[in-house]
Amino acid sequence: MKRSASRCETGDASTGPQPRSRSGRSAFWLGMRDSLMLPAWVVGLSVLGIGSLAHDVGHPAGAAMLSTLLIWASPAQVILYGGLAAGAALPALAVVICLSSIRFLPMTISLLPLLRRPGQGLALQLLIAHYIAITVWTESLRRLPAMPAEERLAYYFGFANTTIGVSALLTGLGYYLAGTVPTPLGAGLIFLTPVFFTMTLSAGARTVADWSAILLGFALAPVFTGLIGRDFDLLATGLVGGTAAYLIGRRQRGAR
Amino acid sequence: MTDLAALAGPLWPYLVVVLVGFLPTEIWRMLGVVLARGLDDRSEILVWVRAVATTLLAGVVAKLLIAPSEPLALVPLAGRLGSVLVGLLAFFALRRSVIAGVICGEIALIAITALVVR
Repeated sequence: MKRSASRCETGDASTGPQPRSRSGRSAFWLGMRDSLMLPAWVVGLSVLGIGSLAHDVGHPAGAAMLSTLLIWASPAQVILYGGLAAGAALPALAVVICLSSIRFLPMTISLLPLLRRPGQGLALQLLIAHYIAITVWTESLRRLPAMPAEERLAYYFGFANTTIGVSALLTGLGYYLAGTVPTPLGAGLIFLTPVFFTMTLSAGARTVADWSAILLGFALAPVFTGLIGRDFDLLATGLVGGTAAYLIGRRQRGAR
Repeated sequence: MTDLAALAGPLWPYLVVVLVGFLPTEIWRMLGVVLARGLDDRSEILVWVRAVATTLLAGVVAKLLIAPSEPLALVPLAGRLGSVLVGLLAFFALRRSVIAGVICGEIALIAITALVVR
């Protein structure tokens, strides 16, 4: 997933915030293309299994696809359909899903300032935030800072809409493939989420702080699961590990 | 809840997605929008927030590997962790290529699953 080379053409034509400008349109297509180069397909394949989980609990294909469009967080979707299959109480399930999704708070806070434009309303910002998930987040943090501020939003919407659209379609495909996938392949599909998260995080890591955060998160999560249980372990991991990684990074920057 | 299910009829699965799945996850994104207001994209606090987010994502990876759902759970933990390592080795060997890492990790895992699960 290299930075695309053909971006220079979208230079000066418009500086205003209007999204239909020429530069905005080509930035949209560029985002779409970058997504179709790989990310959309990997995320799409990783939610293929969500379709079959929904199938197993007797829900319609449309609901499975809607879960990808609305929830847009495969761990939460797995918890939802896994919980329904196990007969979990819905309010309890909602709480577990909520606690498992805390990552979206710091992810949103750190991405939104990059996409902010003068005069942007709350509704548009909520829409921007809805697309935030691992792939969209890491790719945006990696690519947007080098882009002119007025092109970023169009690029973002191109990338994010393509990724979520392909994923929703493949969720539907997975629904109809339910039960036909051999075990090794089924295991491989579930494995896609963690292995792709690992590669995406590694590709986005540049500083000592980034690597510290990855290692600390990986090492601390099971420790906190053992110490305080499966509900608040991620919260503790993020606060303790993230703060430690930040301090490590600050010392590093100070030393230079 | 069961009354609600009867009332919603065929729309119940969609309602479940919205109430039990969408709202509990979206609330964090919404809260993020509110808290991000007025933050400059170069402010120091964002460096910390980003470190917390990265740590959380790595934590999610660890949890998905340690306690996975069904077909993947049939593979021993060492096989799951080993496959991620294979992927990471390929990632670094091939100049930080995400696709190489994903493919090699997947090949390792599928091969292990085919050997272990009968």
